[in-house]
Amino acid sequence: MTAEAVGAAPPLSRREFLYYLWGASMALFMAEMGGALVWFSFPRFKEGEFGGIITVPIADIPAPDAEPKDIPEARIWVVNLGQGRLTDERQPEEYTVKAGIKAMYKICVHLGCLYKWVPTNDRFECPCHGSKFLTTGARIDGPANRNLDAFPFEFVDEQGNVLAKSGLMGSGKTEEGDAVEIPAGAVALCIDTGQRMQGAPNTEPGGGI
Amino acid sequence: MALFQIHIPILDDIKANGLMPTLIAKTDETVTRLTAGLNVGDVRSVLRGDPPKRPNPRTKPHAEAFWMHMRPTYFHKRVMPLYPTFRLGWLSMYFLVIETITGLVLMLWYTPSPLVAFENMLDIMANVPFGLMMRDLHRLGAEFMVMVVLLHMLRTFITGSYKKPRQFTWFSGGVLLLLTLFLSFSGYLLPWDQLSLWAVTIGASMAEATPMIGREVNLLVRGGPDFGTNGLLRFYLLHVFALPLIAFIFVGVHYYKVIIHGHSLPPEDEPVGEDTARKVPMDRRSYFLPDVATKEIYWVAMWTALLILMVTVGNWHAPLEPHADNQVTPLHTTAPWYFLWLQGMLKLGDKVFWGVIAPGILVNLVFVMPYLEVGPSRRYIHRRVGLTIAAVSVVAFSALTYMGTPFYAVSSSADQEVVAALVPQTHPGPLRSTPFEQLPAGQYAAAQWKSAPTAGLREILELYEHELHKYGDELPDSEGMMIVEDWQVGLKKVTLRVLWNSGEDTFEQNVFLHQASGYGE
Repeated sequence: MTAEAVGAAPPLSRREFLYYLWGASMALFMAEMGGALVWFSFPRFKEGEFGGIITVPIADIPAPDAEPKDIPEARIWVVNLGQGRLTDERQPEEYTVKAGIKAMYKICVHLGCLYKWVPTNDRFECPCHGSKFLTTGARIDGPANRNLDAFPFEFVDEQGNVLAKSGLMGSGKTEEGDAVEIPAGAVALCIDTGQRMQGAPNTEPGGGI
Repeated sequence: MALFQIHIPILDDIKANGLMPTLIAKTDETVTRLTAGLNVGDVRSVLRGDPPKRPNPRTKPHAEAFWMHMRPTYFHKRVMPLYPTFRLGWLSMYFLVIETITGLVLMLWYTPSPLVAFENMLDIMANVPFGLMMRDLHRLGAEFMVMVVLLHMLRTFITGSYKKPRQFTWFSGGVLLLLTLFLSFSGYLLPWDQLSLWAVTIGASMAEATPMIGREVNLLVRGGPDFGTNGLLRFYLLHVFALPLIAFIFVGVHYYKVIIHGHSLPPEDEPVGEDTARKVPMDRRSYFLPDVATKEIYWVAMWTALLILMVTVGNWHAPLEPHADNQVTPLHTTAPWYFLWLQGMLKLGDKVFWGVIAPGILVNLVFVMPYLEVGPSRRYIHRRVGLTIAAVSVVAFSALTYMGTPFYAVSSSADQEVVAALVPQTHPGPLRSTPFEQLPAGQYAAAQWKSAPTAGLREILELYEHELHKYGDELPDSEGMMIVEDWQVGLKKVTLRVLWNSGEDTFEQNVFLHQASGYGE
């Protein structure tokens, strides 16, 4: 590509330049329309429906170490981790466990089926590809690659004041949603189903990182 | 004394030449217009098999008419028999048309709302005349179409018909394969039974494994946090509008490319490295009118008869599981057979790699293959490497498909598996198929199946006992009970109880059976 060959091509005329400018603005416009279309198509979430905040009365929460309770509207299992669950020998060591309530998302973290509570084996088991989880949410078997997801929640009293809220526990790779004990005076549990907290990575056979 | 004159030309002709000659002339003119160039005499000569006049009027419809324009005037005689094409491309098109017609018909009775979709299915299957046949034809046609499209792709690869200048024909065919699979997948959701909901949930969740945009893609496709009203509507619109539209466009592109380059000949008929398909010598031509056209009408009749026989006399019926329940994932859910390979791959490990990256790479390799495999010869002896790769791929695909079936690995606790063998969560199964009168009220132990009062009870209790033995290791000292109660008029309640560890552990499940269910029939 000599300078002569480059010079031989005709210079940019005003008309041509304006065409390119117009073409670029049309491309920008189409991109903006595309963005608007995607935004249009996104699902909307509402309070009271799954995707918004769902309130569960304290009476519906199971006793410590009892079987998890199914809350269909919120798509969760409410688990109450007592000392028995914390000292379960199947629990992988890497993950922090605390006593208290957790709101586990019912959808298996592998491919979206609903895992079942199997009392005989005292664990959650997914019928689709065989992933198995403890009540703490820790994965102990199967092709899932992380612990169960959970939703953040708050405890409120009769006036609606927030008494306690869940955050994160663990650090770095083992960070995931934490468990919170029921504070005195709490009357309801408000679960924010729009903010899902992913479980910590867990890919070793038998559970662990 | 008229304000205007009415002039009817045909009356002039009748006056000049007589009624009969005018009618004959008018008929001739009409036929010529309808056929875009063939008058009655030409049509008759086609049907009699006479050699064509010079110049050949039979090329005119192909040159001047819309519908006939894309069909070629003639094919090479060597591509007419079963080998080399097995007519699979034609068959793919046939199935697309069958699916469109049966689909349109079903649209009269179907509404894409979770509130009524399942009810509509029951209506179509039991209440609408020929409804069951239309639904079964639609489902059977879909299964056939996926198989035929895959076989067509395999044949095209084997005969090397993707080589220059037909690379883009292969590429557009790849697009059509993807469209066929997505059409089938989107249609899967529409009956709104358990299989629909969960097979599609798993499939959409695989999309979520895509790095970075996965979660958004999944939300867009589902229209909500899980599959519900919006998801069903989106899949319906994809299935009946968007995907067929794109499919018709690409069929046009694909077929046009086939005709423009000429249909590729059997590899042994062409000199190596040359593409002689376009120039068809006069003595090797098989004309569309009448030979190919009449053969196609015959094949349409034959295949339609075969399909109808399969769904009527042959008793092939599309399944319908219980109503979709987004709170319960049934045991032993499975993907459609053409996606089982993907399920099999997922069982190998991490879902991002095996569910998104590996299939993505494989699919892209298929698309660009003709731009990579540029050897000049289509002869089989020169393509041993390619043909070996094809054979290995077919075997691998079959192995992965087997690995994707429920038999390979996933089960729940033994007590639930025993009961699931009697009352499966995905189809009627043995207990529901037992005739109503053969289940008298009472308490029955599986171990005493030999002394059960009816044949139906003996069969079911024997199966129960057999299953308990199968899981003997996990259920030591086990005992199976079945309690039948007359619950209401025409309704029985059956309680299945499994006890093991000498009665320390129990598992119980209830089933309600209605006299008029008709499962066993």
